[in-house]
Amino acid sequence: MLRRHLLLIGGTALAAPAVHAQSFPGGPMTLIVAWPAGGGSDIAMRLVAEAASKQFGVPVVVDNRPGAAGAIGHRAIVNARPDGLTFGMFSTAGVAAPYLNANANTIDELEPLAFFGSDPSAIQASKASGITSLADFVARARANPGKIKNGNDQPGGASFLAVASYEKMMNFRIQKVPYAGYAPTVTALLGGEVDTATVAIPDTIEYHREGKLKILGVSSPERHFMAPEIPTFKEQGFDVDVGSWRCIAGPKGIPADRLKILQDGLLAAMRTEEFATRARTAGFTIQPGNAARTLARWRADDALLYGILDEAGLVKARKH
Amino acid sequence: MHDLISNLAMGFGVALSLQNIGLCFIGCVLGTAIGVLPGIGPLPTVAMLLPFTFALDPTGALIMLAGVFYGAQYGGSTTAILARLPGETSSVVTCLDGYAMALKGQAGTALAIAAIGSVVAGMATTLLIAAAGPPLADVALLFQSADYVSVMLLGLVSAVVMAHGSVLKALLMILFGLLLGTVGTDVASGDYRLTMGLDMLADGLGFVPISMGLFGLAEIMVNLESMAGRTAIAKKVGSLWPSRAVLWQAFPAMVRGTVIGAAFGILPGGGPTIAAFSAYSVEKKVARDPSRFGQGAVEGVAAPEAANNAATQSCFIPMLCLGIPPNALMALMVGAMMVHGIQPGPSIITKQPELFWGMIASMAVGNVILVILNLPLIGIWVKLLQVPYAFLFPAIIVFCAVGTYTVDSSTGDVVLMAIFGVLGYVFRKLDCEPAPLMLGLVLGPLLEENFRRAMVLSDGDAMVFLHRPISLAFLVAAALLLAAVLLPSIRRGRQEAFRE
Repeated sequence: MLRRHLLLIGGTALAAPAVHAQSFPGGPMTLIVAWPAGGGSDIAMRLVAEAASKQFGVPVVVDNRPGAAGAIGHRAIVNARPDGLTFGMFSTAGVAAPYLNANANTIDELEPLAFFGSDPSAIQASKASGITSLADFVARARANPGKIKNGNDQPGGASFLAVASYEKMMNFRIQKVPYAGYAPTVTALLGGEVDTATVAIPDTIEYHREGKLKILGVSSPERHFMAPEIPTFKEQGFDVDVGSWRCIAGPKGIPADRLKILQDGLLAAMRTEEFATRARTAGFTIQPGNAARTLARWRADDALLYGILDEAGLVKARKH
Repeated sequence: MHDLISNLAMGFGVALSLQNIGLCFIGCVLGTAIGVLPGIGPLPTVAMLLPFTFALDPTGALIMLAGVFYGAQYGGSTTAILARLPGETSSVVTCLDGYAMALKGQAGTALAIAAIGSVVAGMATTLLIAAAGPPLADVALLFQSADYVSVMLLGLVSAVVMAHGSVLKALLMILFGLLLGTVGTDVASGDYRLTMGLDMLADGLGFVPISMGLFGLAEIMVNLESMAGRTAIAKKVGSLWPSRAVLWQAFPAMVRGTVIGAAFGILPGGGPTIAAFSAYSVEKKVARDPSRFGQGAVEGVAAPEAANNAATQSCFIPMLCLGIPPNALMALMVGAMMVHGIQPGPSIITKQPELFWGMIASMAVGNVILVILNLPLIGIWVKLLQVPYAFLFPAIIVFCAVGTYTVDSSTGDVVLMAIFGVLGYVFRKLDCEPAPLMLGLVLGPLLEENFRRAMVLSDGDAMVFLHRPISLAFLVAAALLLAAVLLPSIRRGRQEAFRE
């Protein structure tokens, strides 16, 4: 109860300077986040809520529904009343979830609204490992399959999916060691418990600059804006584009007129200069995109990740 | 030394600005409030406050969030002492002797000792961070998965020591706790275990509903059954301020608790919890008359309360000096920094000296604020014990239910609390203590995660636990402790165990 109240106060405060009042909203909106408050996804979505609130002229309340690797929050989006006032965040791991968990909702049960952005994945090597470059890493991994230890998250998590994608696309095999989140993984990498890790650039760039670990490369078409000195995989001869993305989705069945206002409004909110600045300061790579682009990304990743999970023996809940 | 003084001077310059004192005060008040309320812990509170800090400067934001965190440790002992309701894992042990003291009419003394123990530990640890933060932070990097396994084994063994009753029952309760800890998602394979198809169990059994049930609700049932003639928990309230003799008795325990707490706090994982349990076990081992423990021994309150507060503050060491958050709450603080464009890393001290030293100085300021805030409150809290139980117990049940619900906005958790309330009552009738179970539940998942990871990393070689010096040292300590507990009870037979 306390939480709801504080969130409402927060939402109202954010909504104060109402800019355009469009015809549709007519009530406060709810943005469901399937991850705990304070994490990366939560912060990203609070920035979206703030921008959307200005766009629609109503409070946009972030509602954290964490648990079951996102399945609980995603169900809350699917089951929300389709009046356009309730929507939520959906991400890479959500595409993979239904293959591991029979209770998780599939992409067919969600309505794509707008694309937030894709944080490029990267590979880091510990100082103790002596790995000098991406080519060196790949050569070692191919020569000794399963010997290099990679700090990772549990099967189906964003970091797991990234490394599994690398293994498939770049043809090598390493030992994935599960950690509960980025922070313990970075600790293990600094202490030399694992040889490599696959965590985000903002979480590791300072250690790289201090010489405590080495970022081997970033797997996106362009270099990361926070780490312009780190070359891309492509520059090093591996044409691989892997990242973990976030987007906004709603329940199926939102009336067409409302759906259009909602999709256009969210996209416009994320295209404002103020939003871009704040998101970049917090370390997010944003690439605002429309619903069609969102859906295309879902479909492409669904096909890619199914193959990866199937090979790893993780397709347990449903088959294609 | 000169550097330290000039750095601290700069820190106090930051922390004593009007804005930052105000933020520190807000944090401390909120922290005390949520600490007192059962269920609502510092983690959701800091998470709720996070968006409000977007508009603040990062130093002010962190000062306020930190105030909530250590403020909650001050408040957390209140319900543990007054109603046998542990608000957090780290105050589970405070229930044992704190509540026993309250029943004897010494609630005021217990609360004052808890507050004094907290401030002693808080001040000492703040000084430790300022003087030796960066080298101590590197200690956290020396610990690997295998070492954590051994640390947690030591923690579990200490739960056997602290039990004042049958060693066998304590062991069984730990095993039951470990078993409950296996519910949830398998870390290595992602499979759901024992979740009965319920999504609410996918992340395991929550600590809050179980501790509220086992301790709070079970206590109410026992009271209602046994207090035919009594109308309030404690008829007499006694003096509020501890006598000099009591303080003299408690002070060495506070010092030992502080040392233990500061050491465990640096380690990721169950820091404050293991610290509080270990501090209690140590007190029981060094005491001339261990049988006083569980009956209202003042050291049994002083040591764990000092330990959990010291651990709460020393867990800032890896976060501030290395950018490594040792627990979920520190991770939120890193999140608060990242929003402002400060990346976690070892360069915070050099690149953001005002933030680093300001934070440290604010902890000293915060501890002073908390003492000023908490000591006068003791008189009010103690009066609650004179409220007729017919009014008090429904209020406690409502608070438990609301507190449990707010953790995850889940009605399932309230049902879980009720189930464990009944179970707690059965345990009381069987003379089984719930505290070892709680430790098993908290450490079980961490133990499993680290054990399986250690095995993966060593390619399945179990000797890794003996080959790593840190791990070996903790294993030897655990073995010695276990021997110290088991040998007398084996030698003297079963009677001795029952007599305690």
